[in-house]
Amino acid sequence: MEQEIMTETHSGTAVTASPNRQAIAMQLKDVAVSFNGRTAVRDCTFDVAKNRVTSLIGPSGSGKTTLLRALNRLHDLTSGAKVSGHILLEGTDVYRGDLTVTELRTRVGMVFQRPNPFPTMSIYDNAVSGLRFNGIKKKALLDEAAETSLRAAALWDSVEGRLKVAASNLSGGEQQRLCIARALAMDPEVLLMDEPTSALDPIATLRIEELMTTLKSRVTIIIVTHNMQQAARISDDCAFLLMGEDRAGELIEFDTTEKIFNNPRDPRTLDYTLGRFG
Amino acid sequence: MSEILNESIVALELGDEAAGGYNPPAASRTWYHYLLLAGAILFAAVSVGFVGTIFWSSLPTWLHHAGTLLGGKGWASPLGPFGGLAMITGTFETSLIALVLAVIVGLGTSIAIVFLIPRRFRNVIATLVELLAAVPSIVYGLWGLLVLAPWMETTVNPWLNSWPFAKAIFGNPGQEFGTSLLLASIVLGIMILPTFVAISREVIAVVPQDLIEASLSLGATRWQVIRGVVLPTAKIGLFGATFLALARATGETVAVALVAGGVANVQFHLLYPGTSIAAWIATEFGESQGNEIAALMALGVLLMLLNFGLSLVSRWLVRRQRRVLALV
Amino acid sequence: MSDMTEIQEPKEVGNEMRGEIRRISSHSRARRLAVSRMMIALCAIALLVSAVPLVMLLYQLFKQGLPVIDKAFFTTLPSTPSLIAPNATGGVSNAIVGTLALTIYASVMAIPVGILVGIYLAETESKLASSLRVIAQTMAGAPSILMGLFAFSFVVRDLNVGFSAIAGSFALAVLMLPVIVISTEIAVRNVPNTLREAGLALGAKPHVISLRVVLPASASGIVTGTILAVSRAVGETAPVMLVIAGGFTNSWKPFDPVSALPLSIYENAKSEWPSLRAQVWGIALVLVVFIFVLSLSARIWASRKQQVKN
Repeated sequence: MEQEIMTETHSGTAVTASPNRQAIAMQLKDVAVSFNGRTAVRDCTFDVAKNRVTSLIGPSGSGKTTLLRALNRLHDLTSGAKVSGHILLEGTDVYRGDLTVTELRTRVGMVFQRPNPFPTMSIYDNAVSGLRFNGIKKKALLDEAAETSLRAAALWDSVEGRLKVAASNLSGGEQQRLCIARALAMDPEVLLMDEPTSALDPIATLRIEELMTTLKSRVTIIIVTHNMQQAARISDDCAFLLMGEDRAGELIEFDTTEKIFNNPRDPRTLDYTLGRFG
Repeated sequence: MSEILNESIVALELGDEAAGGYNPPAASRTWYHYLLLAGAILFAAVSVGFVGTIFWSSLPTWLHHAGTLLGGKGWASPLGPFGGLAMITGTFETSLIALVLAVIVGLGTSIAIVFLIPRRFRNVIATLVELLAAVPSIVYGLWGLLVLAPWMETTVNPWLNSWPFAKAIFGNPGQEFGTSLLLASIVLGIMILPTFVAISREVIAVVPQDLIEASLSLGATRWQVIRGVVLPTAKIGLFGATFLALARATGETVAVALVAGGVANVQFHLLYPGTSIAAWIATEFGESQGNEIAALMALGVLLMLLNFGLSLVSRWLVRRQRRVLALV
Repeated sequence: MSDMTEIQEPKEVGNEMRGEIRRISSHSRARRLAVSRMMIALCAIALLVSAVPLVMLLYQLFKQGLPVIDKAFFTTLPSTPSLIAPNATGGVSNAIVGTLALTIYASVMAIPVGILVGIYLAETESKLASSLRVIAQTMAGAPSILMGLFAFSFVVRDLNVGFSAIAGSFALAVLMLPVIVISTEIAVRNVPNTLREAGLALGAKPHVISLRVVLPASASGIVTGTILAVSRAVGETAPVMLVIAGGFTNSWKPFDPVSALPLSIYENAKSEWPSLRAQVWGIALVLVVFIFVLSLSARIWASRKQQVKN
C-alpha cells in the first residue's frame, strides 16, 4: 500500500518534493479551496510524513488556515466553499472515498487558535467528549482514555485530583492542553493545529511546543503558525505559502524545515524567513 | 453581543448591558443637564404613579376581601363576593400549555433558522419573525374566534371526544363550545412563539463557532453538536427566553378575552370555557362599579406582580448567559 | 528506501484501545447519523409549523378583508344593522379618526419625555439612572391592560376627566414611554466614544457635544425606536378599551369619547350580525397593513443607518 503511494508521489511538480522517504500520513494533490468562486488557496501538492511535525507558514492571507481546514473537511459547513484536487488519508480520498465525514474527523483531530474547551463540561467530560460523541459509554474505557490522553497532553498530574471541576477554571495554557488531550483521546492518526499558541503567553507556548515534540511519536502533526521561530524550532517539514497577484494563496515551496530556513530554492522563501516581509 | 442588540425586538425585551456612561463635571451642569434630569424625574414619577395608583385603587379589596379574591370561586356582579380563583387558575393553565407548545415548536424553529437557513436569508427570517410579533393581539383573537373556534367546534372537539382517555382530560362538551381554555392556550402559544424564537435564535446564534467546529472535529454528528454543545452552552439564555415568553403569555389580554369563553369557573377540563386574569379585567371592567372595580384592580396587582417577577427572572438569566459567553 | 526499515511505526500506548474506540465508533455511526438526520428534519418541520399560523392568518385577512373595503368604509360612520337592512354596517371613519387622534396625542406626550430619559440614561451614571433602566425594562414588558387600569384610576377618576381620547392616549403614552427610553439609550450608547472625546478635546462643553454631535449621530436609531413604539401602540386594544368609551362620531377633541380600530374589531367580532363580523376583517386588514408599513419602515431605516455606518 505504502509502496503504491510512494510511486505516485514521485511525479511531483517542480516546487514540491518528497523531503524524506518515510511512511506517508496524508497526501495533497493540486488542492485548491474557493469560496463562492473566489479562490482562496491553490496549487498545494505535498506529502505529510508520518510521525513528523509539518508546519504551514506564510504571511496572513496566504491561505494556511484555509488549507488546514480542508484536511478534515471543516469547509463542509460553509455554503459556497469548494475544495478541489485530492486529499488522501492513508491512501483514501477524504472527499470522494468511502470515508464518511464523521469517521474522517475521528481520524484527523483538530486544535484551534483559541483554547476552547466545552464551557459546560468538566475537565473529565471534555477529555472524553469525543468518545462520548462516538457512542462509547463503557466507563472503564472512558476512564482509561481520559487518563491516557491527559497524560499525553502533560496535564494529568495537575488535574488528577479535580477531574470533575469545570474546564473554565484552568489557565489558558492548561485549557489548550486540555483541548489537545480532547483530540488525542480519539487516538487520531493526524492532529491539525491552527496557530495553537497564538492566544497564549510565552511560558505556556513553550510547554505546548515541548508537548508537540513528544507527541509526534504517536500522532502526525500539521501545524499552522505565523511564528517563524516556532516553525523552525518544532517542525520537521515546512510548507511555505504566499498570496499570489490575484490575492489567492499558493504553495511556493515544500521541503524539510532545515532546507526551507537555510537553503531554500525560491528567493521569496528566503525573503520571508529572513523577515523582509509579512 | 452586538449581534443581539441589532435585533430590535431582542434589544427591547432585554435591554442593553449598562456600559459606563459619563458624568458631566459639576461645573458644566447647564440647563441641558437639568432638562434631562427633569425628564428622568417625570418618568420616575409616572412609574411610581403606575404601580401606586393601581395598588391604591385595589386597597379596599386587599383590606377586606383578600381571602375571597385569592381563593374564592364565584364572581357575583355587581355586589360580590368577587372570587379570583377561576382567573388565577385559568391564567396558569392557558399560559403553561401555551408555553409548552411555543417552546417545543420554537426551539426547533430557532435551531432550523440558525443551522439550516443560509446566512443571507437570516435577515429575511428575522424580519418575518418581527412582523409576526408586530401583529396586534386583537387580530390573533379575531382569527381565533372567527376561524379557529368554529373549527374546534365541528372538527377538533368531536375528534378528541372519540378517544376514551381524552374525555377524562379534556372534558366532553360535545359540539357546544368552540371557545375554550384549550383554544385560548393554542392562540396564546402562537402569539408568544415569535418572542421566544427571536430571543432563543439569538442566544443559539452567539454560541461560538469554534466550539461547534471543535465538536465536529471529534466526529460528532450535527445533532450531537446541537444536543451536546450548542444547547448546553445556550441553556441559561434559553431559560431566559422561556420565562419571558411566559411573562408575555400571562399578560396577554384581548385574544384570551375573545377565545377563552369568558366564564369564571375553576375548570380543569380544557375543552370547557374559562378565563384569565387579564381577560377578565378587560371583559368585566366596562360594567363594574365601586367594590367590583377595586376587585378588578386587585386582580391587576396580582398580574403585575406575576409579570414583573417573571421578567426580572428572565433578564437575570439572560445577563448570566452573557457572562457565561464572555468567559468562553 | 532503506530508511523504511529503520523507522518502524512506533509502539503506541494502548493500541488495542484505539481498536476498540474505532470499532464502537463505526458500529454506532449509522445509528448516530440516522438520529441526527431525524432530529434535524424535526427542526425543519418545526420551522414549517411555526410558519403555518402566519400564512393562514394573512390568507384570511386578505381573502375576507379586501372585499369589504371600499370608499364608504373609510368615510362613513358606523350604523347598526337591523332586520330590514341586515347589511347596513356603515363605515369605520370614527375608529380611523379615533386611532389617529389617540396615536398623535400619545406621541406628543411620550416621545419628548422618552427621548430625554433615554439620553439621561445613556449619558449619566447614577443610582437614579440604573434604577430607571431596570424600571424601563420592566415596564416595557408589563401587560398593556395595566396601562388601562392606570389611566382609568388616574385620568378618568382622580383627575375627573372622564372617558375620553386624552385618557386613552395617556394609557398609550405610558405604554410607549419605556420602549422609546430603551431604544434611545441604545442608540445614544452606540455612538462611538471617540466622537465624544474628539469634541471634548476641542474644548466643547458636554451639553454642546451631546446636542451637536451625539444626538445627530444617534438620530436614526432614535427614530427607529420611536416608530416601533408607535406601531406597538396603534394595535393595542386592552388599555384603550377601558377608558375611551367607544365614541360614535368623528371627533378629534381630546376630551370627547372616541373609538379606535382595535376596539371596533373587538366589538364587531362579538356581534350577532354576520355583516358586522364580515366587516371586522376589513378593519383588521387596515390595522395590520398600517402596522406592517410602520414597522417595515422602522427596519429599513435601521438597516440604512447600518449601511451608512459601514
